Amino acid sequence: MILRFKGRTVLQGTIEGKALVTRRGFNTYASFFTSIHKQTGKAVCADTGNPDLYGKNLAHRIICLPGTTGSTSSGAVWQRLVKLGSAPKAMLFSQPIDPLAAGGLIIADIWAGKRIITIDQLGEAFINAVEEDDFIKILASGQVTVYKNHH
Amino acid sequence: MKLSSQEQDILSGSSGKMLQRVMETIVAYGEALDAEKLVDITGMGHFVIPHAIPGISPSMEMLDDLMAAGLKTLKPFTLDPVAPLDYENWWLSPEQIDSLEHMYQNQKPYDEKMTALGLWHGKAYTCTPYLPQVGNLPERGDILAWSESACVVFANSVLGARSNRNGAIIDLLCNIAGKIPLSGFLTNEGRRATWRIEVKTDRLPMPQVLGAAIGKTVLAEVPYIVGLARFLGQGINLLTWDYLHELGAAAASAGAVGLFHVENITPEAIDYKTDLLVDGYKTVTIKDQTLQELVASYPVMWRNKKVAPEKCFLGCPHLSLNQMDWWADQIHQCLGKHGEKYLKVNTTICSAPQVLEKFIENRKGWEILTRAGVRFSPACPMQLFDNHLSRDDAIITNSNKLRVYTHARFFPDNEIVDIVVTGKIRRAM
Repeated sequence: MILRFKGRTVLQGTIEGKALVTRRGFNTYASFFTSIHKQTGKAVCADTGNPDLYGKNLAHRIICLPGTTGSTSSGAVWQRLVKLGSAPKAMLFSQPIDPLAAGGLIIADIWAGKRIITIDQLGEAFINAVEEDDFIKILASGQVTVYKNHH
Repeated sequence: MKLSSQEQDILSGSSGKMLQRVMETIVAYGEALDAEKLVDITGMGHFVIPHAIPGISPSMEMLDDLMAAGLKTLKPFTLDPVAPLDYENWWLSPEQIDSLEHMYQNQKPYDEKMTALGLWHGKAYTCTPYLPQVGNLPERGDILAWSESACVVFANSVLGARSNRNGAIIDLLCNIAGKIPLSGFLTNEGRRATWRIEVKTDRLPMPQVLGAAIGKTVLAEVPYIVGLARFLGQGINLLTWDYLHELGAAAASAGAVGLFHVENITPEAIDYKTDLLVDGYKTVTIKDQTLQELVASYPVMWRNKKVAPEKCFLGCPHLSLNQMDWWADQIHQCLGKHGEKYLKVNTTICSAPQVLEKFIENRKGWEILTRAGVRFSPACPMQLFDNHLSRDDAIITNSNKLRVYTHARFFPDNEIVDIVVTGKIRRAM
């Protein structure tokens, strides 16, 4: 089954990859605080409060989420992740992007020179439909195609 | 987004490449937030990252680039509490001290860079910058680009200033340009409440518990809280100031609350009353039982759940002078009741450097607490937990924020007093 969604491009680009999904608020700092100290190429989610993602390697995946919740000290986390080469490929938000995620992702793009493709406002139907390991194609227009059962 | 001719000039590089890059970042930030324009920042800054830890602090190269271009914030800024390098106040093992030394090895050059970029002065480190002894006190209506979540929620709600919950680095860049996108809590519409919270308790709830209950309920939305004025009186006074500071810090960390209104107390609630509520707002009632059940639901995260408490950290967020006097009084009474002279649990109280100086100058409370064995620090207990060696310490606190971000075990104030004096937890594990 193929599902198509249209969002708003925050950081434009074309990419494809496999999904990881959380349907609760994503705490950037809590998720990455153990990954930002070592250059392992991995970014294993350390947020015990997020059972959807805890223990999973977020590096080079397409993260599907409603929005981020904090903390405000997470602004530099994205910059560090792209420098370490362990950032996700893309962030797909079902809701309008929040200031914390927007600021951090834009700084990584402009000041570290490495883009994490970011699309927001994909809607509730998107976050309800997408599942872990679904194959996703993202177009520069903000179109997101989800290939279900593509294993 | 519409830009003024001055902003457009900066964006096209007329003021140098580095300021152009700063403006490019702020414009992208504004477009992501659907802002219609940028507005001037009218108050000082307050930023969340005071310490040099890779991945948490901005990269040193970025700070060097900004400094090399001669850039600094248009108005001075204050920072969150200093790094916990006053080891004698934290009851640390030699291994923990070594680990912290390593972790903060770049602290001195980072401090120097912050000074060059606009840090107000060498004591401008606290999470209560608006206390009179500190002096970063925004006025109602001031436009700010702050980041520390406990400070943002207080400035918005109690002081009536306007700041979004900005992240680290974007706070610095906005204050360098003196511009912030007009969005969210900076707009009248963004300050309206989507929740009506009715507090129906028999007594004044502990603010860190009520704040956590509200944060868990509303998440990032704006609550209009009813039912507190019968305990606190009307308007802002010394009691409500401290109470709402604690409430806000807990609401910001248990949820992502950046603004709340309290009927008959906070400035916008006094002026606009229930007009602040949007059509179709949601409602919830909070009773004593709600709060008791919330506290009972907190898991004990200690590795050894049966060990006696070893350390107690008070002052997250930093305590005011009145709050430190309160703790001195409570501990003095409890020591007398039990016929004890010294606390059984190693206790550290945290506050702003200027508040600690005043507390020492006032002598009475400081002498009571010092005689009982309490130590004082201008640092932040949360920063100790970036050190993985603290994981095995059995720590208690009255801070819901500290509980959320660490393995510290939460107790209400009255229980904390009893535990630090007797060394015993009377509640079942």
